[in-house]
Amino acid sequence: MRSFPTNRRTALGVGLAAGAAALGVGACGRSSGAGPAKQGQPISSGPAKGALTMWAMGTEGDKLPALAREFEKQNPGVKITVTAIPWDSAYDKFTTAVAAKKTPDLAMIGSTWMGALASANGLDPMPPGLIKPADFFPGPMRSTMVGGATYGVPWYAETRVLFYRTDLAAKAGVVPPKTWPELKTFATALRAKGGARFGLALTPGGEGSWNTFMPFAWQAGASITAKDGKTFSLNSPEMVRALDFYRSMYAEKLVPPTQPIGQPVQDFVAGRVGSFVSGPYDMTNLADLGGPGFKQKYALAPLPAGRKSASFAGGGNLAVFVDSKNRDAAWKFVRYLSQPATQVRWYRTSNDLPAVTSSWRDPALANDKYLAVLGQQLTSAQSPPAISTWEQIAKSIDGAVERMARQTQTASAAAAQIQQECQQVGTGV
Amino acid sequence: MASATTGSVQPKSAPANAAVSGRPRRGSSPRRRREIRAAWGLSAPFIILIAVFMAGPVVASLFMSLTDMRAADLRNPFAVNFTGLDNFVKLFSDPIFGQAALNTVYFVGVGVPLTILVALVVAVALDKGINRFRTFFRVAYYLPVVTSIVAISVVWRFLLQPDNGLINTVLSWVGVAGPDWLKDSFWAMPSLIVMACWRNFGNLMVIFLAGLQAVPRGLLEAAAVDGATGFARFRLITLPLLRPTLLFGGVVTGIGYLQFFEEPMVMTQGGPLNRTLSVSFDVFNQFGFGNYGYAAAMSYVLFLGIVLLTLFQFKLLGRDND
Repeated sequence: MRSFPTNRRTALGVGLAAGAAALGVGACGRSSGAGPAKQGQPISSGPAKGALTMWAMGTEGDKLPALAREFEKQNPGVKITVTAIPWDSAYDKFTTAVAAKKTPDLAMIGSTWMGALASANGLDPMPPGLIKPADFFPGPMRSTMVGGATYGVPWYAETRVLFYRTDLAAKAGVVPPKTWPELKTFATALRAKGGARFGLALTPGGEGSWNTFMPFAWQAGASITAKDGKTFSLNSPEMVRALDFYRSMYAEKLVPPTQPIGQPVQDFVAGRVGSFVSGPYDMTNLADLGGPGFKQKYALAPLPAGRKSASFAGGGNLAVFVDSKNRDAAWKFVRYLSQPATQVRWYRTSNDLPAVTSSWRDPALANDKYLAVLGQQLTSAQSPPAISTWEQIAKSIDGAVERMARQTQTASAAAAQIQQECQQVGTGV
Repeated sequence: MASATTGSVQPKSAPANAAVSGRPRRGSSPRRRREIRAAWGLSAPFIILIAVFMAGPVVASLFMSLTDMRAADLRNPFAVNFTGLDNFVKLFSDPIFGQAALNTVYFVGVGVPLTILVALVVAVALDKGINRFRTFFRVAYYLPVVTSIVAISVVWRFLLQPDNGLINTVLSWVGVAGPDWLKDSFWAMPSLIVMACWRNFGNLMVIFLAGLQAVPRGLLEAAAVDGATGFARFRLITLPLLRPTLLFGGVVTGIGYLQFFEEPMVMTQGGPLNRTLSVSFDVFNQFGFGNYGYAAAMSYVLFLGIVLLTLFQFKLLGRDND
């Protein structure tokens, strides 16, 4: 028994020493200030060489090898391995890979993750002159800029527009709304004369509902961050106006109060909902659910404008990791993927909307009346700021959207609450 | 550990050593050192495993809870600021954490007694009342325990659907318009409690059945001869004898329910209006946001809650007479 206390003391000593060592190093703290915006290093000229690994999510991951083979043909000596990873676990996979310094050379990255990955020093700043930012839609382009530097290239774009039933609109004698008051008369008419149970459906809270709400805020002239990019401006009068408008849609019972799984697409096909706000992915869902003939019964329209026209710009970006052993070749592949002709080819392969504006002049896109609306909306679509705390800010906005839909709070109280919550979280800059 | 240093080797190695050396055992210093080395060598795998996989993460998470570590710091985990108890102080002014704590207390406060009660009633019924199809009932009640939460969530979501769900359909037969259970800020939590109870009572039922079978029949028969009614026998003989089993059931269920996570994860995502957000779910969210320091602090508060609840249950049901 004599030795036991000694051993315990030793163990305790080791523990304390480890703790002290940890704290000792910890006391050094983080380096103060973010420093000047990082400059990308130029890349070599000539064809790409060596092996590349790339991660991409969902359909993109499945279909990308087709383009990779083409790039390999143009650049003999390069070998690209594409790994498809599921969307659900992608964000965690990226953060873990960056932390472990075991990343692929390049990857497709969700446009709202750029802030977090760039702030973790995981991404390589874009080489100067790789692409011309003016060639891309401004919203998606902005999502690649973190703290003044550019960390990637928009690959494909998506946005939010108004889906509406043309047959119900004809029956009700209305045309797609151009302003907020018109949106209300449109929804009322689709219900009263068109025969729908609800004229319009919006997202009543839950994860990602900011996608549907923020277009209204941007239309009102609101902005998530203040001019300095370090503080939030979520309690602006413009924000309050947008929240109040969203709330009034629920208070006046123009939209369904809740949204079960699979809605509003099912109700839209059945004619119970006359219109809804969503992105291009729902065109696929509508085709699956409504059959081939359903495309005659609906159309897309740009979202109604408030003070100005605006929507949400999402999509996927291409980025190269700092831990890449072959960054020159990786950036060359990125450059290849963002050329207008490749973008059109990619649209034909995957149905992803090109992020390069000139690709939209191709007949495959220009002659499609559905795509034309999306292309038009993309010119005014905005991205949320690329900040490292974005997921948490989004959650806070989602909460406010839910409180508006349930009318448990006034618009000004909700604006004050999200401003306070987000200020506490900070921008991570 | 103690025996190694006092010179009395473990009984297992003593005869072996004696047989090999053939010498009487002495407390000679080199030999003792050899034995100590052997003892450390033999226990090293376990000590290393525990240090690396258990003590290490615990120390790391404790360290994390005292810093402002975020996901972005992972590449350089020591370059963070030591913030002392700031995370813990911040927790108490975090309204979402406050809501999550209240929700968890509600869930545990109603869920644990309810689950124990249901399990006890079913166990007694299976032990005494139901003779036919006993195995069938036992399997049926235990089935939810071994069913995947994903399958359960699908079934329960169908049951709880507002328009054509089974529950609201049955309610409509008696003229009651049922609410939208999972979207109603009052009914969402009770729905999850009932679901958790349904899912978990099978486990306790099996434990209680074993406890009931350990109650000596002789005592019950003697009481019956003395004229005690069935209920009196249950209250005065079965229940006191079942106390250790009840304590075990309460502690295990309490620990599980305090960490309640799967039900809101698959059914409500913590909504509506955060009414079903549990502390575990909040910890999960905060880790997802990359606030590692803050999330670690939250986990320690939850751990403290588990310790307190367990102590309370020991006080309530533990032995106090010896």
